[in-house]
This record gives sequence, C-alpha cells and structure tokens, in this order.
Amino acid sequence: MQRLHARYPFLEAARDAVATEAVDLATVVEQDGAVVDRARERVVTAVEDGETGEPRREPRVELLSYPVARVLVSMIGERVLVRRYARAEAATAYERFAADFDDTTELKSVQSTDLDLETLLTEFDLTDAVQATADGYRVGVGTYLPLAEDQWGDEWRLVNRSLTDGDVPVTEDELRSLLREAVRGRIEDGLPFDVPDVIAASLEDEADEVREVLAELDLTREIDTVVPDLFPPCMKALLDDIQKGEHLPHHSRFAITAFLANIGMSTDEIVDLYRVNSTFGEDMTRYQTDHIRGDTSPTEYSTPSCATMQSYGDCVNKDDLCERIPHPMAYYEERIDDADDDDLEDWREGEGEGDDAEQSASGD
Amino acid sequence: MEERTRAYLRGRFRDHYRRTEITPPPAANEREWGFIPWTEGPDTTMVRHRSLLELGDLSEFLVRKRPRHVYFSAGRFRDPGASSMAAKDWQSADLVFDLDADHLPSVTLGEDSYAEMLAKCKDALLRLLDFLEDDFGFEDLEVVFSGGRGYHVHVRDESVLHLEREHRREIVDYVRGIGMEYEELIETETVAGLGRKTPTERRTLEIDGGWGKRTHDHLLAFVDDLLEMDEDDALDRLQEFDGFGEGKAQAALNAARNNREGIESGNVTVHTAISQLAERFASRAVERDNAPIDEPVTTDTNRLIRLPGSLHGGSGLETMRLERDAIADFDPLVDAVPETFTNHEITVDVSRGGEVELGGDSFTVTEGDQSLPEYVAVFLMARGRAEKEKE
Ligand code: SF4
Repeated sequence: MQRLHARYPFLEAARDAVATEAVDLATVVEQDGAVVDRARERVVTAVEDGETGEPRREPRVELLSYPVARVLVSMIGERVLVRRYARAEAATAYERFAADFDDTTELKSVQSTDLDLETLLTEFDLTDAVQATADGYRVGVGTYLPLAEDQWGDEWRLVNRSLTDGDVPVTEDELRSLLREAVRGRIEDGLPFDVPDVIAASLEDEADEVREVLAELDLTREIDTVVPDLFPPCMKALLDDIQKGEHLPHHSRFAITAFLANIGMSTDEIVDLYRVNSTFGEDMTRYQTDHIRGDTSPTEYSTPSCATMQSYGDCVNKDDLCERIPHPMAYYEERIDDADDDDLEDWREGEGEGDDAEQSASGD
Repeated sequence: MEERTRAYLRGRFRDHYRRTEITPPPAANEREWGFIPWTEGPDTTMVRHRSLLELGDLSEFLVRKRPRHVYFSAGRFRDPGASSMAAKDWQSADLVFDLDADHLPSVTLGEDSYAEMLAKCKDALLRLLDFLEDDFGFEDLEVVFSGGRGYHVHVRDESVLHLEREHRREIVDYVRGIGMEYEELIETETVAGLGRKTPTERRTLEIDGGWGKRTHDHLLAFVDDLLEMDEDDALDRLQEFDGFGEGKAQAALNAARNNREGIESGNVTVHTAISQLAERFASRAVERDNAPIDEPVTTDTNRLIRLPGSLHGGSGLETMRLERDAIADFDPLVDAVPETFTNHEITVDVSRGGEVELGGDSFTVTEGDQSLPEYVAVFLMARGRAEKEKE
C-alpha cells in the first residue's frame, strides 16, 4: 500500500497514511533532511520543468515529501506557483496512471502498486458521471465542463462535441486527460494555506530557493515590446499567413496567439490585428486570447517550445540563432536584447493603436 | 407617469395580488430577492439584497408592497440577505436562459408588432427546448413567459447547479453555435487500401448528436430534395452554392445518386463535393437552429430573474409559468392578461395611440380621453402611453 500512496500522494488514503506515518509535520521538517530535500526538489522541478523529478526509492520519504512540498508552496503563496506546481503534480500522476492502465502484465498481484481506472473514478466520485461505451466513455455534461475547462484545443469545446441526452462521448485518451484535470483540481484545492510559524521556520532556506527560481522565471516573461522584424522565423511566417487571410489549423493559431499574448499584446490588439483575416472570428479570437492569458481559465498558456513547433510542422525558415535556442520566446528575447533600445519601434506605437491616451482622445 | 396613474396601478396590482396565489421557486429562502417600487421618474432603483426572511411571507409581502417588478436570484447563498456578493457566500445557481425579442436577429425592431415579436420569440424558445431536452437531457425545466418581450427557462437539474460562469458560457456557445468548427465534427479513420492501393483516410461526420447531427440532418434533407428533382433543377439548386460550378454540381449530384447510403452514414469522403456541401450545411445548421439567448443572463450566476406569477410593471401582463404541453398553444397576448383586469372599462387619457393587440382583440386607440377595457388601459399606462384621467 505504501508504494501506491507514495506514487499517488494526492489520494485520500495516502492522506490518511501520512497522518499515521508522521505524527507531527513540524518534527519531520526539522529532522528529516531526506524528506525536506525531496519536497524542495518536487517544487523546484515543477517550476522549472513542469515535472516533479525522480521519485525516491524509499516510499516513506516519497510519501511525506508531498505534504511538505505543499507547505513550501503555501509559504510562498503566489498564484503562479500554485498553478505550476499543481500542473506538474498532475502531469506526473497522469504519466503514472496511464502507464498503470496500460500495464497488462499477468504478474499483477494483490500487492500491486498499480492504480486502476475504477479506483481513480471512485476517488473523484465520478463513477456515476462516467460510463463505458463500446468505443470509449460517456461523461455527464455537468462533470465534463469543469474538467474540460482548461484543456487546450477546439475539439474540447462543448459546441464541437456530440452531446446527446446530457452526455459527452470521449475517447479513452480524452478521459485520461479529464482525470488529469481532476487530479490537478484536487492538488490545487486548499493551496495556499496558512503555515504555522514553527514549520515555516525550518523551511526558510528551501523557500528562498523556490523564490529565486520563480524570480528568474518572471524575468523571462516580462517582455512588453512588439517588433515584428525581430520575431522568430516561425512566428513571422504564421503572422504572414494570417495577414494573407489564410485558414490556420488550430495548433498554429494557438502558437501565434500565445506568442503575441506572451510578448505583451492585449486581447483587443490581437483581435484588431487578426481582423483582416475573415477566417478568424472575433469571438473566437477573443475567447482564445483570454484563455491563453488565463483570464477565463485558471491556467496561463505559454508559447509552445521549438520542439513542439517542430512536431506540428510550424517551425519554418530556421536561421542561425534558432540553432542556439530552445524556445521561440528565447529567440525573441535575444534579438530584443541585442537591438539598440532607441532603434526599437514598438509596432503599436507606430500605428497609434492600443495607446490609451490616443484612443480616449479620438473616442468622442 | 403621473402620481394618480401610479396610485391607480399600485392599487390594482394590490387587488391582483390579493386574489392570486403565488408559488415561490424552490429553496426560496436561500435566494436573494429584489423589487422595484412604483416611484417617480423613469429611472428606477431596485431594492435588493433582501432575504425572504426580511420580506416575510411572499403573498403578504406582495399585497403590502404591490411592487412594480419583483425578482429573485438564480443563485442560492448561505446568507442571501448580506449586502455584498462575497458575504452572501454563493452555493449554486439555477441555469437560466433568456430569450428576448430585443436580441433576436429575426426581429425587426420598430417594424414587427408586439405579437409578431412574441411569435418569433416562441419559435426560438422551441429551438432552445430542443437543445435543453434532447442534447442536454435536462429534466427539471421551468418555462416562463416573462410578461414582457420574451421567455425564460429555469433549469434546476442537480448535475448543473454547481457550474461556474465559464462553464455556463460553454453552454451558451453550444446553444448559439458559437465556435463550432466543421473540422472538429469530423472523425478521421485510416482505412487500408484495396490491393496495392495506399491506405486512405475515411472522414465521417459525427451523426450521433451535437451539431454534427444537426448538420447531417440538414445535409440529408437537402440530398433527398435533390433526388426528387429532375436533373436540371437539381443542378441549378447545387449551383446556388458559392464555389459550385457546373462540374462540381454534377459531381455532387452523381455522388448523391450513387452513394446516398454512404452519406446517410455520415461518410463525407464519398466525394469532395459532398464534403464541401456538408461544410456549408454546418454553417447553415447554426444559422437555422441556433437559439439566440441573451448570454449574460445565463453566465451571471448571481442574476436576478422576474418572479413567475408576478405582474410585469412595464406591460401589466402576468409573468407566467407554462406547462410543457401548453407552450404550442400559448398566446401571451391572451393568456397572460390577468383576470383581475378583464371585467370592466376605465377612462384614460392616451398620449400615444396606435394599434394594440390584446385579450384576443385588436384595438385602434386614438389619442385623448376615452374608455377602454381595463387591461388595455393598464397596458398603455404601464408603457407610459396613457395617464389615468383626472378625477
Ligand atoms: S527553431 Fe524555434 S524559433 Fe526557430 S523557427 Fe523553429 S520553432 Fe521558431
């Protein structure tokens, strides 16, 4: 059992196990260096890589590191950290339960550390809302909507679903994604909480390290300059397509929209920019942009990495700089840094649009 | 509106509430209540953030306050009488839909009569109910004539009461067909090629439900129409579609003739011309079948909604719950006229005359002092088109 709980520390049963295992969390953080170290790693890796790192061999350490990681996240208390952390824990859980579901070896014993679908559905009180069908599952619409809220892609939108008699048909893979969201919700639930001083005192160093990692991350996100000449080749090409009025598949549309939002363009500016293209409905653009920005969903989406761009065939016209960077945002940052500040003309200023002062002056 | 008119309406609203039994919504004491009194001036201030506890017994309250408008919240709260939304502590909310003639694309404001607007609204209501009953499978539905320009539907199925704003927006978009993408209605399957042929893709429209089914219904109806026509008519019909020249029209017609079964099963790979037709019918399905509900009413989980059974202070008509099987025959301009106002005539001074259809009659109202059936007089006074004549 202990191994199962260590693997899935968000389960109710795991919480109970922690309660019996560690009489007192304050003592653990003070005395158990291995647990604290693993907890720190969980959070740091979550922020940096969106994963939770290598599990420790000893189930006890692994299991106890989860509540301690939650304490760490709570000490810092920032929304973005909570989101990233929960997303990373959920991604890890997803990988594990997907592997468990696919594991069909006959050697499964009663003592197995595998989690089955039944158990997971029961854990989240989904046994009534989710029914198996001949070619997948049906999920009740009231259950589907909150779990699909943060999934990216038009195919998740209710309007594109074969909703019948209150149920949304989903494939097995889709059900797994929905379960990942259920896990994420469970992990986010209650975070951040108030941390008693005695516990916080022992974790100050670890908390500082997480703060630093976060700060570095923030720096890279604070670009607010729109200079299309310096865009990476992939984004230039996508922008070009939009302005030629071409119909883009949604991964491409997502990539360029996320990029523009990440470099500081507002929803209105993006809508304006796309208006030339009749295949981009304003409502849709608004919906996507707000979604990416995290206004209408708890998650902010970032621009896809070069690897993702490549896998979708959106990486085109690579140049020298492309060889040295892992991410279109990194490309753009380098180009901005290299350029002389005075030479940078923000596109939005050039057009006199999106400038508040000018708008209100001409708005009468 | 002059004070003597207000006084008259107040008094008659009270008479109405004295003789009418009002059924409150379920969990009435967990809801916020609000009302607009008969005050001077066009700008009306709502008294809100009241709990039923504060109002007292509903019927007794209505008789005592004889308000111009009465509302209750879709939301249920732990402390409905608290003065801020946060302090109310939201628990859940009915899922509410509002169809208002002002928002219907089919309505031409200023041209359509009140009766015409309401008829168009009822068509939209029936389309909306199609979605709610078939697609969503809702069972606890309450349909209400608003007393003004439209209809409300209150859904109270347990499974959706917890949904938040963003989730409700998905429901709005579904019903309105916003964000529907033809490509997403298509399932793609790779099928092995015959003999030495390379594998091909089979693309199938999802025909079991959702907008895929609606698209398919329209497509199939069209195909069946085509098959009944003679060759020339069919080709002409097809060429009415943008981008359909002679060649493509012929190809589509042939595909329809040779492969109706394929089309019936949703297969759009039978010919590219069919696939293109299907795509056009997806937009057409949205145009024809969508229910143009007023989005904010559905997404706002704190919204106040007019109380069924109460009188609408802008028309003097009753806000009425409708049984499901009574909707088809319901005529708001006859059935929602309160009985209280049907028995005698009163004298009013009309400032803005015109045609008034009400109570199954049509009145050509002239300007100036005159005696009219009370419900017509009340309607005109409530709309600000007449004053109670001076005593
Ligand atoms: S390497 Fe990266 S930045 Fe360069 S074009 Fe490809 S995706 Fe864009």
